[in-house]
Amino acid sequence: MELVCHTIERYVALTDDEWARIAPCWREYAYSKGAAVCAVGQVEQRFYIVRSGVQRLSFPHDGQDVCVGFGYDGSWSGEYASFISRKPARFDVVAMTDSVLLGITYDELQQLYKEVPVMERFGRMIVEELLLGRATREIEQMSMSAEERYDRLVARSPHLLQLVPQKDIASYLRMTPRPSAGCGAGVLDPGQAAACAPARCFAPWMRTR
Amino acid sequence: MDANAMIDALLEVLRGQIARAREIQRLPAELLLKRPAQGKWNALEVFEHMNLSSGVYARGIAKVFGGQAARHPANPVFKAGFLGDFSTKAMLPKPDGRIAWRMKTLRMFDPPRQHGASSESIARFIALCECFLRLLEQARGTDLNRMKVVSSLGPILCFKAGDAFRFPIAHQQRHFLQIERLLAQ
Repeated sequence: MELVCHTIERYVALTDDEWARIAPCWREYAYSKGAAVCAVGQVEQRFYIVRSGVQRLSFPHDGQDVCVGFGYDGSWSGEYASFISRKPARFDVVAMTDSVLLGITYDELQQLYKEVPVMERFGRMIVEELLLGRATREIEQMSMSAEERYDRLVARSPHLLQLVPQKDIASYLRMTPRPSAGCGAGVLDPGQAAACAPARCFAPWMRTR
Repeated sequence: MDANAMIDALLEVLRGQIARAREIQRLPAELLLKRPAQGKWNALEVFEHMNLSSGVYARGIAKVFGGQAARHPANPVFKAGFLGDFSTKAMLPKPDGRIAWRMKTLRMFDPPRQHGASSESIARFIALCECFLRLLEQARGTDLNRMKVVSSLGPILCFKAGDAFRFPIAHQQRHFLQIERLLAQ
């Protein structure tokens, strides 16, 4: 549970009394490779901090899984939108490697928010952080080329490239190869489509959307 | 064999497995996930494997009991079917703890190729064993020779209801030895 303490203390300072109240609310959960931490349609019961392993956050679309994020050592994990809204999840969270997650249930977290004021501040700060991350990603998605997004990812989370299969990175960067997606194939003739292909690809089968 | 004695023996095995599973639930997550080698099952996957395979029998027994148990008067004698007896004995570990007759797992019972395993797998295993406990109590009041349960191989092999209890529980005994080996790593 040290990890929980360190993680919370990255945001706020805890007294021993506060920690004694908080610690028992967190429990460890093991997921073997391939297991669903949360599945579309379920209500996410817990909010997690990752002790070890990698999880993928994705949603099914057009018969494919569109990857929108990853959880890894020290990061948050779980389907946060479903956790806070108490509505069925729209994302799948799957353990890509054997994972140990430290989780707190919704009810217990709400109780802590009520009883321990510093926890409420911690909660607010996480949401602020998540919101900033979301805003950054939105700009990256809307305004940057796939290559720039890839460079950004390498700069921001280089370790992800070692942990996650290339196809999930590609999906995360919205570079998933789809017959209809390559530079509007079907509209352009093959020659024009080839001219639109990115100058640098990190896998030959990948094409920018 | 004496049906009630058989039921008592199975109940005892199940209670032992439930108690051990509850202890294992409290072990550190890292230990439950530890694999002896890459590609080998960890303890959680063994639990999930038992859920997948024993679940076939628990559902099958519940189904025939629901439809027929009340129609057959209690029979104090159970005569195991030939294949049911053979399969159960093949499953049971030898007295010295050796496992004879190793077999390859069917895809449908292989957790890594299904939906994985998690801490929840142990909780589900305990619930499954408790379901067997209730069915075994119900079994005292009926005739275990007269009802057939489709085995995990499908309709090509049907067990008598009594064997449909013995076989999965023997299979679980075999896998508990595997779990103990995994946890002792």
